[in-house]
Order: sequence, then structure tokens, then C-alpha cells
Amino acid sequence: MVLFWILGGVILSGLIIYCLQILAVRSALSPARDRGAQSVLSGSFPAISILKPLKGLEDNLFGNLESFCVQDYPQYEVIFSLQDENDPAHKVARKIKEKFADRPISIVVERGHHGLNPKVNNLFSAYQHSKYPVILISDSNVMVDPNYLRTIAKPMDDPEVGLVCNLIRGIGGKTLGSIFENLHLNSFILGNICFLDKYFRIPCVVGKSMLMRKSDLEAIGGLRSVKDVLAEDHFIGEKIRGQEQKVVISDYLINNINEYWGLQKFINRHVRWGKMRWKIGGVKYLLELTINPVFTACLPLLLFGPNRKTLSILALVCFMKMIGDFYLAKRISAAMHPLIYLFSPIKDFLIGLIWFVPFADDTVVWRGNRYLMSKDTRLSPCPERGGEWKYKIVEGIKAKLAW
Amino acid sequence: MLLCDFHIHTSYSDGSVGLRRTVDLFGQAGFDVIAITDHVVNGDNPFGKLANRLKFSVTEDSFRPYMSHIAEEAERAWDRYGMLVIPGVEITKNSFSSNKAAHLLLIDIKEFIPASWNYEKIFLEAKKQDALIVACHPHRTSEKSFIDTLFLWNNRDRYGKYIDAWEIANRDDVFNVISLKKYPYIAGSDFHRVRHLYSWKSLLNCKKETASVKQCIRSNWGVAITLFRN
Repeated sequence: MVLFWILGGVILSGLIIYCLQILAVRSALSPARDRGAQSVLSGSFPAISILKPLKGLEDNLFGNLESFCVQDYPQYEVIFSLQDENDPAHKVARKIKEKFADRPISIVVERGHHGLNPKVNNLFSAYQHSKYPVILISDSNVMVDPNYLRTIAKPMDDPEVGLVCNLIRGIGGKTLGSIFENLHLNSFILGNICFLDKYFRIPCVVGKSMLMRKSDLEAIGGLRSVKDVLAEDHFIGEKIRGQEQKVVISDYLINNINEYWGLQKFINRHVRWGKMRWKIGGVKYLLELTINPVFTACLPLLLFGPNRKTLSILALVCFMKMIGDFYLAKRISAAMHPLIYLFSPIKDFLIGLIWFVPFADDTVVWRGNRYLMSKDTRLSPCPERGGEWKYKIVEGIKAKLAW
Repeated sequence: MLLCDFHIHTSYSDGSVGLRRTVDLFGQAGFDVIAITDHVVNGDNPFGKLANRLKFSVTEDSFRPYMSHIAEEAERAWDRYGMLVIPGVEITKNSFSSNKAAHLLLIDIKEFIPASWNYEKIFLEAKKQDALIVACHPHRTSEKSFIDTLFLWNNRDRYGKYIDAWEIANRDDVFNVISLKKYPYIAGSDFHRVRHLYSWKSLLNCKKETASVKQCIRSNWGVAITLFRN
């Protein structure tokens, strides 16, 4: 009985934190801040180099890249960087360059081996090619409106601001994997970023959009300082904060379009992200399970069997989570069909299972490469011998789940 | 080289993706030329009757709306992606016997051609419309749920003269017999679902115009195939 009440307390605290996350999102996107966003028409607008590392075809890639070429901003350049000219994204980048022949768009293809993080490797050549004093590192899977650069450049008026990053909204969702991804981005990820920023003043830097001065990046050691860590975005943010500069989360929501993900891709990403959080947060990662009320509400059912109490708790928590997720999505204009939110508890349960994986496996596969990950997401080459059976089992399951 | 796919189905027949989304999917992936080739199924056997009843076929009645929708999307695709969209159909002569079944792509078709016509009549009408005639998946495929379409291959001596090109690769299959016979060739995805985007494609070295594309395929000069993977 004591265990039951302990679990009840954990579930309740999870729900309370979830409510606080909703309040934090509301606050981050409050009308007052919206009004503030209208002042982006005035102010100083530094010239910006947009660095776009490309690898493979993301959903909506053409539209994503195009949206960065039609920015309503006085002076900027776009640099697409690739490691391989046979990459299918190269063709898309060339078509974009042809379409906007009058815009300063460059394509840099260079196979760099500066470190183990493939995204950072890809960024080196773009960075060397960039000519403006402010850079925007932007992933290829985001789409923005024409006023995006003006909005995110505004906080840079303050010389104490060293980095501006953004909130993310997942949209699209035509397959189960992409529906799960969007549900997760619009609840857990968005909620936690706003929650940590509002109540603990901890800005979570997500690498999908990072605006900073070159001088500030150089002061922390440049891209070289993060070439061998997987969470380069987090450490750039940390190092900039370490230089007594502010990291600001802009209230501008960038669109992450996920339309045709398979379930395998969703699982891969969140296993990788979970491992990163475990390596960065350590014991704090353990708390994550408690802020997944759907998963914790399954535990009484598993431990005490199905009865009126355990089933009612689970049903109530699932219902609250579905309503909450739907509300959050509506708030950020990313709502899918209401029936889609029936998947929300299933996704949370799956995320609860994924939470355990980082304790069993230190390897990550990213952009086709396998690495061993140690503290602070530091990467090292994966040994070719020893422990392969573990990878074979994991790969076997992944192959079964593939489309 | 132009990245092309000449074998694409939409929800106008048995594809799972609507026309607009299909065009966007290929445009977003950087394609230069695509042909929309929904099924026109013969209604003279139980297969065809079922396909027509389930609306898995373009019919004489739906042909005009189908063509005008493609024309509308072609204009949008050209403006947005610089992608050429060519209208077409897949004449689908189904049968319980592999040796009697045949599928034919008619690319840049203008008027409706029923699949129930005999082969000569279909070929001559397609030639009259200056449509490109492609024999698709002409040999044994790896698709277990699919009855192979061997009629045209088995009767190549009789009908080969009408056929502008043969599919040397279809989705994941490669037909080496086409290579051995040195027939003009193209490759296509036989796109029905989003995942079929990643499959065999054609590369053409010609201008991005319908006439040049047809000429390039017919002459079999400047044609290559590639396995498009992400």
C-alpha cells in the first residue's frame, strides 16, 4: 500500500510539472511578447551568414531551404555545406541556387575530417567560407517565415547577448513516426525548454537555430572546441554562458516539418537524445521518468494488476495528457486532428521505454556513423571487436521496425 | 543530367498519395522530370472489373479531370520547383496468367485510350498522339503479391517495333534481359507509396522539355539509371 501511495505521489508530481510546463509555454508565447515581436522592424540588423549543413533528404527539404532565401533582412548570405557531392541534398541545393540566382547563395562541398561530430565537420567549410561577423547555424529540417532573421537578430542589439536560439514546433505528420515526433516536440521538448527557462533560468540550446557572433564563438575556442562532442549545441551554449554572456531563447517558433518518418527514425532519434541527456545530466536524467506521468501511471497497473483504482488512474492521466497536448499544440498553431491525440499516451509510453536504453548502451549511430559516447557526449570511434552481439540485436529489431 | 521518374501512381488509381502531395514529394526531393502514370485498367475480366469498381483506374469519364488536374499541378511544379510534370497513363492489361498480362506506360498522352483495345490498336493510337510507349516491369519481379507481366517480353518480336523503351529497372528490380537485348531503356519507381521514392530512377542528358525528353529516351542517347537512396 505504501508503494501505491509513493507511486501516486510520483504521478501527481508529474502532472503538476506538466501543468507548470503548460504555463511556461503560455508565458513564453504571451501576447505581451507577441507585441514585442512587432518592434523587429526597427533596430540595427547585423549582416548574417546562414550556415546550412546538409546531409540527405529531409522532409520538405526544398521548402525548408527556400524559406531561408526569401528573408526580409537587409544583408545576409546563405551557405549550403555538404560532405559529398553525390548527396541527394546537393541536387536540391543546386535547384535552390538556380531559382534564387540573384541572391547570395553558395554551395560548399568538402569532405572534412576535423573531428568525430559529422555536423561540425560539415560546418567547418561553411564557416571558413562565411564573410559576415554574425553566423546563424541552422539545421536543414527547419522552415521559417520571412521575418525570422529580423526577429532573432533583435536580441543581438544587447552586447551581453552571446547566443540566440529558438523554440521548435513540429508540424506535418502523415505517418506514425512523424506523428509521434510532432507530438513529442510540441509537448515534452517544448514544455521542458520553456519550463527550465522560466523557473530555473536554464536556457536549453537546441542546434536547429543558433545565432551568434563569430568573435564570441572564437572566444570559446571556435568549432574546434566541439568537434568531438555529439551535443555541440548544448556545449556552445554552456561555453558562451561561461563567458558571462547571455543565452536567449527567442519566442520565435521555428517549424520542424516531419511528414514521412518511420517509427524506427523516431526511436533512433530519441534513443540518441536520451543518451545525450544521460551523459550530460547524469543523475538529473533519472528525474525525467517522473515527468512522464503516463509511463509512471502504468506502473501501478503492472505492479498491482488491473483493478478499478489502477485503471482509473491510468485513464485519468492519459485523458489529461491528451487534453494538455492538444491545448499546447493549439497554442502554438500546430494542432493536428483531435483524434491524433489518442496516440499521445502511446507515444509517452514508448518514450518511457526508451528512457531505459541509455543505461544499457553507450553507442550512438548518427548520420551513418557509429560512435562510443562518454561523459559530456564526448565521442570516440566504436571498437570493431567486442559487444557486437548487442548491436546485432538492436539492429535486428530496427530492421524489423523499418518500413 | 536530369533526375527523372516516369512511373508514378497517385490516388487517381491505386496510389496511396494524392496528386498534389506526390508532386510536392518529388519536387521537394529535387527531381527535374516526372510523369504521372495512373492505371487505365481493362474492364473485360474480373480483375479489371474489380479495379474499376474500387476506383483503382482512370476511366473515360475521369480522364478529362485527371488530365486537367495534372496540367494545373504541372504549372505549379514548374513555377515552384522548376520540375517538368508530364501526363501519362499505365495501360493495365491484367490477367490471371503472367503470360497474358502486360502493362504499358503511355507518356505525354493527350486523349483517352481504353485498355480493352487490342495491342495494335493501342500502339497505333499512342503513336498518333505522339506518346512515348514504355513496356513496364517486362520480366519476372521480386514482388510476391504481383502477377508478373510477361506478355510483351514473350511477344517482343511482334510488338517490339512499337515500343520506344523498356523498363530496365522497376523500383527494386533490375531486368538484365533488356540489357542483353540492347533495347532502349529507362528506370522508374512504380511509385505507389512514399517509401517508393527511394528506388531506381532515370538520368537524362537533355533539355528539360517534353519533346527533348521523349527524343532522348527514343534515341537511347544520354540515358543512365541510378538507384536513388537517401
